Amino acid sequence: MPATSEASSRARRRAWVASLLALALAALAMLLVRSALDKVHVALVFLLVVLVGSAAGGRVLGFTLAIGAFVLFDGLFLPPYGTIVVSNPLDWLVLAAFLITSIVAAQLLSVAQERAEEARRYAGEVERLAALGAEALNAARADDALLAIAQVIRQALALECCEIYMHRSASAAGGGGLGDAAPGRLERVAYACPGESSNGAAASTAGGGDTLAAWVEAHGLPAVERTDGTTHVAAAGRENETSVLGGAWPLGADVRTLLLPLRVRSRGVGVLRLTNAPAITMRDDQRQFLDALAYYAALGVERLRLTGEAEHADVLREADRLKDALLAAVSHDLRTPLTTIKALAHTIVEGGASIGDARAASIEEESDRLGRVVGDLLELSRLTGGALHLQPEVNAAEDLIGAVRRRVEGVRQGRNVRVAHGSQEPLLLGTFDFAHSLRALGNLVENALRYAPPNDSVELTVQREHAMLVFRVADRGPGISDAERERIFEPFYRPPGAPPDIGGAGLGLTIARGLAMAQGGDVRFVPRSGGGSVFELRLPAVDEPPTPDAPDAPAP
Amino acid sequence: MHPPSTSLDASDRFSVLLIDDEPKIRAAIRDALASDDVEMFEADTGAAGLTRAETRRPDLVLLDLGLPDMEGIDVARALRRWSSAPIIVLTARHSDDETVRLLDAGADDYITKPFSLSELRARVRAQLRRARMPRVPGGDAPVRVGELEIDLARRLVSRGGTAVHLTPTEWSLLETLLRHADRPLTHRHLFRAVWGNSYGDAPHYLRVYVAHLRRKLEDDPYAPRLIITEPGVGYRLTLGDSRGLADAGDV
Repeated sequence: MPATSEASSRARRRAWVASLLALALAALAMLLVRSALDKVHVALVFLLVVLVGSAAGGRVLGFTLAIGAFVLFDGLFLPPYGTIVVSNPLDWLVLAAFLITSIVAAQLLSVAQERAEEARRYAGEVERLAALGAEALNAARADDALLAIAQVIRQALALECCEIYMHRSASAAGGGGLGDAAPGRLERVAYACPGESSNGAAASTAGGGDTLAAWVEAHGLPAVERTDGTTHVAAAGRENETSVLGGAWPLGADVRTLLLPLRVRSRGVGVLRLTNAPAITMRDDQRQFLDALAYYAALGVERLRLTGEAEHADVLREADRLKDALLAAVSHDLRTPLTTIKALAHTIVEGGASIGDARAASIEEESDRLGRVVGDLLELSRLTGGALHLQPEVNAAEDLIGAVRRRVEGVRQGRNVRVAHGSQEPLLLGTFDFAHSLRALGNLVENALRYAPPNDSVELTVQREHAMLVFRVADRGPGISDAERERIFEPFYRPPGAPPDIGGAGLGLTIARGLAMAQGGDVRFVPRSGGGSVFELRLPAVDEPPTPDAPDAPAP
Repeated sequence: MHPPSTSLDASDRFSVLLIDDEPKIRAAIRDALASDDVEMFEADTGAAGLTRAETRRPDLVLLDLGLPDMEGIDVARALRRWSSAPIIVLTARHSDDETVRLLDAGADDYITKPFSLSELRARVRAQLRRARMPRVPGGDAPVRVGELEIDLARRLVSRGGTAVHLTPTEWSLLETLLRHADRPLTHRHLFRAVWGNSYGDAPHYLRVYVAHLRRKLEDDPYAPRLIITEPGVGYRLTLGDSRGLADAGDV
């Protein structure tokens, strides 16, 4: 920019010298043949000089030439020569017409030129924007596109420095662990600052003044830093504010740094930081240009963020796939020998070999138990390893209860599962994964059957309580002391005094609770009045949807 | 509603092909199933199994998932290209998804490891009987299950002599389940059969329709005996426990 303005001022100086010289030469040449000339010829020649001069040197030169030509016309070509006065009063009319024509022509010409200049500038900006858009879209890497945007902004607004910051949420950064509460941070993802190009990594967190940047990011409003070191944050602009500068426009004369929020679909994605010394100056058309560029920058930042997320998701998917493959292999490798042992023991029992009989039966029982433990361990590793695939669907509570009763049929050991329900109550529905909820409720019922007194029954009920379906499994077993209320949900926990061969590995309640929580529910313990325990499985309830009948059913 | 006794005639032997790579499991299953009227063939890979199936034309195939050379679903598909013999899948996988895919690819039933041999025997018997039965259980005659009488031809259902009114969707569901009695039907299979390809919101609520149907047909919808839920897979209509389990013992 400085180079071009210097060149244009030199050209203007040349235009002044040349025009004044041309005026003098024209006057001299016409003076030599004055007797042969008519007033009209003189006026036309001078007018030509004025027009050429104002075309080359602008409005001021045009006016200067017009007045100079007026004086020369009057003094040298209208008798009496050498004086201001004219002999023929009609010549005043000629002079006045000449002056007005010259000035109006010079004015018109310069306005036309300014328009042309403006059009050229706009064309240049549109071209730059188009080029930038193409570059941003074409750039193979998202950060290359952002760098291109930063450079164009710096050049277009003649700034010292243009920096683009991206909002990175703490959880998406890959580390995790800190939880959702940790606030995100702003990270500089692109910058065009020739002064510091040699040192400093491309990506660094915001340096000084980043509390201001964080404010801009959080509030979605622009802010400025003044040359005297004070800061100013803009109030919320008008409702239909379209400019990114909003309430910060017009800029004061002493703005050193300008911080603008970058937003995509009214969601903050980052901050644009512009710096210039001693101050940022911006014309109205440049402000419009900045609006467009800031939107490009926001899109660039969003693209960078999405690219990062896509890579992260790829890694997660691959990890999931490996986990699934591993679990499937372990599952197969553990269950296949169990099936063999069980099957062989069964054939011995059936064969009726006298001694083998009882022992083979206990081999079969033990392999069943081992099978349950293996199942529990696999389920737990799936739960904790994040390999649980839930398929929540609208299910009926009575369907789950029916399936649970079938499931525990083999382990009742003489105890009963009693289900208390009304005869004509409406369907109770919930949104849950059937197979996994069956496992959760099944674990609770099996547990209750295990600890209930022999020949006693376990009560199973279901109720809708606000937004939840609550399944209650009640037994008259020994109950659970206050001290153990939460410990019972820990893995491998066994109640003190429990016989070593009871149940599985002590994972039933852990798994039940884990499965319930994974679908927005919970498992809770409540002491039963009159002795015993009540375990509650809570799952999200849903109202019965309108179930229109199939319209195209064939007639009877 | 029992099949004609001629179909279980001793002179008419069943052949069962067992495809499993574990020799010990093969031995145990062979011991449990082989009898006067069941002849066993074995294969230890998917490819060998397909070859044996072509030469032996078995009446039933037991297919283990986790074969060394082929995915179970590919074996099932290859078999289904030319054979309508029932396929029972032996699965040890941790997810029901694969079972569902196998059933959708044409397998008829599944049993999860570790299973009991009596259960396996019962399933095999049920499938063999099914294969010999007319397409629709009972043919033109009404089907009786406990107090329930279902007459597909006349589209009538009665319970204890009282007519039961079913909506068109419930009819369609019951009919599909009955035509594939004693076979697990996946949710997808039922969606297709009842709603065709015009999926609106309705198929999403398949389980709600089944719950309503049970309330009309079952003695106790909290302990269904006719329409059994196959967790994570779908539903199965059983024509009475007396058929499935007790018959297995008297082979």
